[in-house]
Parts: sequence; structure tokens; C-alpha cells
Amino acid sequence: LNAAPRRPPPLHVRFLPGPADGTAAPGLVATRVPVLAEHHLVTGPRFRRLKMGAGHRLDTKASGVMVLGIGHGNKLLTDLYNCHLSKVYTVGGLFGKATDDFSDTGKLVEKTTFDHITREKLERILAVIQGTNHKALLMYSNIDMKTQEAYEMAVKGLIRPMGKSPPIITVIRCLQFALPEFQLEIHCLHETQQYLRKIVHEIGLELKSSAVCTQVRRIRDGVFTLDDALLRTQWNLQSIQNAIWDCQLKVKTEIERTLA
Amino acid sequence: SLRQLREADEAAPVLRYAGRAARRKERVFVWGFCHSGALGIPSFVRPDAGWKKPRRVQPTPYRLETEEKISSAACGYGFTLLSSTTTDITKVWGMGLNKDSQLGFQRSMGDRNKGYEYVLEPSPIALPLTKPQQTRVLQVSCGRAHSLILTDSEGVFSMGNNSYGQCGRKVIEDETYSESHVIHQLKEFDSRVVQVVCGQDHSLFRTKKGAVYACGWGADGQTGLASYNITSVPTKLQGDIAGVNIVQVASYGDGCLAVSDEGDLFGWGNSEYLQLASVTETTQVNVPRHLPFKIGKIKEAACGGTGNMALTEEGNVFVWGYGILGKGPKLLETAVPEMIPPSLFGRSDFNPDIRVARIRCGLSQFAALTNRGELFVWGKNLRGCLGIGRMEDQYFPWRVTVPGEVVDVACGVDHMVSLVKSFT
Repeated sequence: LNAAPRRPPPLHVRFLPGPADGTAAPGLVATRVPVLAEHHLVTGPRFRRLKMGAGHRLDTKASGVMVLGIGHGNKLLTDLYNCHLSKVYTVGGLFGKATDDFSDTGKLVEKTTFDHITREKLERILAVIQGTNHKALLMYSNIDMKTQEAYEMAVKGLIRPMGKSPPIITVIRCLQFALPEFQLEIHCLHETQQYLRKIVHEIGLELKSSAVCTQVRRIRDGVFTLDDALLRTQWNLQSIQNAIWDCQLKVKTEIERTLA
Repeated sequence: SLRQLREADEAAPVLRYAGRAARRKERVFVWGFCHSGALGIPSFVRPDAGWKKPRRVQPTPYRLETEEKISSAACGYGFTLLSSTTTDITKVWGMGLNKDSQLGFQRSMGDRNKGYEYVLEPSPIALPLTKPQQTRVLQVSCGRAHSLILTDSEGVFSMGNNSYGQCGRKVIEDETYSESHVIHQLKEFDSRVVQVVCGQDHSLFRTKKGAVYACGWGADGQTGLASYNITSVPTKLQGDIAGVNIVQVASYGDGCLAVSDEGDLFGWGNSEYLQLASVTETTQVNVPRHLPFKIGKIKEAACGGTGNMALTEEGNVFVWGYGILGKGPKLLETAVPEMIPPSLFGRSDFNPDIRVARIRCGLSQFAALTNRGELFVWGKNLRGCLGIGRMEDQYFPWRVTVPGEVVDVACGVDHMVSLVKSFT
């Protein structure tokens, strides 16, 4: 950023003594000279610090989309947080093991068989998880259920907690199932990655076996998807500027729509 | 070290909790008003320890342990009947109020000549079967003070109050119904009876040929026999359903609905709450009338005290009548069926194939079962009968959290019984 060409220092009018040669009248001549205080060797580099803020947290063991804000974007970050939009994760699990921190790198607690598990049983458990979490969604939204507005919003599916609430899963479904591995797609609100690993562990318990979580990958955070995210090789100025430019409109419309 | 940890992990024993052929277990969950013993758990009414207080209401589902697999359940007004398709001697159990012998004669342990007025635990009902180890009980149904039991080869058994002829036998003046041993057997129908339904004080029988028979109180026209008198012998209904093959009958209060095999709906009985206002202005209809609703082919109908519900082939639920119908606090009465939006039952872009599979009605409550096994209830929450954990009325469908897949539900006045299959 500092190496980018900057505009030349501004000029101001100074009354300087004229050139000392015999022909012109002696006195002051108005000349435009650059402001010395604005010279790049005096002011130094233009950017010394950048104010950056981070969006929703991501564990060391998890990967995926992480939203950062620069400068004015920090204020937009708080607005986006207050919109309470859901995030989408791809969670990979493995049947047959149970560990103390619910991931495959933890200390082993128990090993169980899993040949009785079928995709149908898993989908039944996922449907129940979705149902109870849908109920929690309506309950923690603190809307009086007896009003007509609550009924109309429930029909459209717009009710969600707009304040603090325990983690809630809005959609959960099975993407792949190949014993002993399986992969789930989870849409959730107010969660932590360790909570998702705990959910995988509890699914294992419910199916009378055990499960550990091998992978947690966030593929969507509110309006930001994997397509908007920058890879490690793309962490350069041009791509960052393009990314900010592309997302501006999306963020603005989402904030206006939800906080209106 | 790392290698030692890895070897210890691999040497750890593998535990087996469920075999490959593990079957799902059938369970029964009950909730609602328990003071009459209708839930079948004695510790709610007579606690085990002296310092515990009796529980008046059970607001969330509670597991009821049964000896056999229960295939059919019915809730009456303060009592419950459970039945199983076993060939053992004991096929039907009853609990709750027994002041009119609606649960048969329950011999008291203290005095061998007296019977119990309240039964707190599921107690066997002795049926006078000629072949007790071959006949199977298919279905049970309960009304206000009487009950009907349908068997596969020995007709229908009825017991309880007969002051309006609802048990199908002649009304005897000044008969005492409490501690009565009378269980009447009904066999004279045109073909085998396949469904029995109890209204408040009347009974409906549907036969295999598609005919409907009725007996009992008729002051609201609920017997459908073109008169407002009491009928004490089951008589065939005529009117708009004569010659029509009826596949389902429903009733709980004083109104009745019938569904034909072509998806048409017929109604008769009480119409004070706009249940039949689409075809007639009168408040009592004593002849079955065809209800020309343009909502599609109807698969199932359910009749409550003041509101009715119909389920179409596409899996949509329509409600009409009076009361908390399920479309918010503003809709309290309508004569024309209104559809409940499927998004309230969980249908969304992520789950487009959720549809309602079964509907049931209590006196002022409604229940719907989806094809995923979720139970949704709405209506007046009388003494906690909705099972949602709160005591307030519910104006739109709300999930009941049951630890299992709900297969069937029976709704009563102030309690409900559900037959559930465990998940794995």
C-alpha cells in the first residue's frame, strides 16, 4: 500500500524574493511551491497501522471462511453481528471411536462397533435434532406466541433469536455416508466449533455407538461464501481490494433488510 | 510416547451396544390431566412417599410401561383404553374413571363384591370371548361414559353407560351403571365391522361393505337416522351416503364426518359451530349431507367438539368450525375450510417432502402426524393436554418433543396417549 504511487504534494503560494538580475523590479514575486511539510520524506509512509477487526471465531482445528473488517468495516462488523445470520459448516465424522475432546486427535475413551448403523437411522436422528432445534428457535426468539404477527412470521420462517441464545441448529442433513465415515451439512446460529463436535459425539451415542469429529469447515458466514473467500496464495493487495469491492453491495443490502 | 499411545489405542477392546438385527422398540407416552388416573401411572395420584404431593397435570410426555405391544389406544372423558393384537387372554387394558363401568367390572381388592370407581393402573378388561386364544382385538374407542372394542371375528363389544342406547342394547329404566358386569356383544351388521367410533353419547360402526351404522343419542341428529330420537339398536344410515363406499368415519363430540373412497366428504350432526354451514343454515342435521368443498381428494377427516379437520391426498391440512383452528389468534371461526400453511409443519426448501400423514381431534385440540414421525398439536390447552410443557393455548401447530417416532396418537378431552417407536 505504501509503495503505491501517491499524489504529488500540494502547492501553495509563497511570496518569495524575485530573481536577482538587473532587468526586473526588485521585490516579492508570487510563486507556487510545494508544501514542504507534506513531502513524502517528511511525513513518512502513509499507512503505518491498519485497524482490523475479526468476525465470528474459528478454532485452531477448524477451517473455512473467516470474515475480517478493515477500517470502516469494523462498524459494519457489529451491524452484521446484530443481524444474527446463520452460518453453514461441513462437519466430517467417524464412527467407532469416542475421545475426550470429541475430535480424532484426543485421548481415546471407548471403541464400539458400528455395523448396525444405516443411513436411514442417521437421517431419522438428524430429523429429530432439526425438529427440537426448530422448537428452540421459536422459543428463544422471545416473541409472544399468542399474537397474529408471531403466527405470520412463523409461517414465513422469519422467526429467529435476535439476542443472546444457546447454540441453535436450523438445518442439518447428511451429505455423504460411507461407514465408518459420514459428512453432515449444518446451518446454525450462535454456535462454537466445539459444540458441533459435541453434536457429532451425541449423534454417535444416539445411534448406540460412538463418533468423533474429523473435520469442521465453515463454508458460509452470513452473506460471505467460499467463492468470496481468499486463499492463502491470494493474500495480496489487488485480490483484497477486489474482494472488498464485490462484497460491499451484498453487505449493505443485508444490513438494511434485517435491521430495518 | 506417541507409538505407545497408538498401540494402546489399537489394543483397546471394542464394545458392542446394539447388534446388527437390533429392532426398534414400541413405547407408549402419555400426558395431560392425571388426577382421574387416566394416564395409568399410580404415583401421580397416590405418591409412593408420604411427603410427595399428588401431581395434577403432566405437561410433557411421560413413558408408560406396558407388558405387551399396544396397537390401538383411545382416550375418553377421564379414562383411557389400550389394546394389543396379541392372542393371549388379556388383550385390553383400561385406566381412569370407571363410575359407569366404561372399563368393565374392576373387582376391588379390599371388598370382593364391589368394584373400583377409579382405576389408577392399566388393568385388564375381561371380555366374554368364545375363542379367547384366537380372536384378536383390532381397535378400541371411547366416548363420554361408554367404550367400544372391535374384534376380528366376534363382532363389537360395548360397555359403559347406556342411558341413550349408545351401547347398542335396549335402554333399561333406572339401571345402575356403576359396578355393572354387563358387556354387550353386537354382531348383526351387513358385513364385518372394520372401524368403531364413539361420539359423546352415540356410537358409529363402519362395515367392510362401506355402510355406516349408528346408535345412541340423536337430539343433535348425530345418529344420522332422519330423526332426533334415541336409537338403541345399530341402524344403517341413509341420506347422501346410501350406496357410497365409506372408507373412514370420525366423531368425538356431537358432529360426525365420513370420507368415501372417491375422496368426498359427508357430514351430519351438530352444526351450531358452522361445521356444516356450507350446505345448510339449520343447526342440527340428522341426515348425512355431502359437503362440496373444493380442496382436493380427501384422505382422512377428524371431528372435534367444535372444529373439524380434513387431510387431502397431497398432505395438506384444512380446518373449519369454531375454536382455536390453528391459523393464529384472529381466525376463530370459519364455515369454509382454510388450509394450514405446510411451512408450520416443517416443510421448507431444505425439506420439501414433509407432509402430514395422519390427523386426530380431541374435544378442542387438534393433532397432526407428519411422515417423519413428528407430532404437532394446537388448540385449547385444557389442563396441559397439549403436552408442550406450557399451560397456555397454542394458536398454531407446535411440535411435541417425544423421544421417538410417533406412530399414532389418541386425543381426549384433557389428556393424550401416543404410540411411539424408538429411533434405533
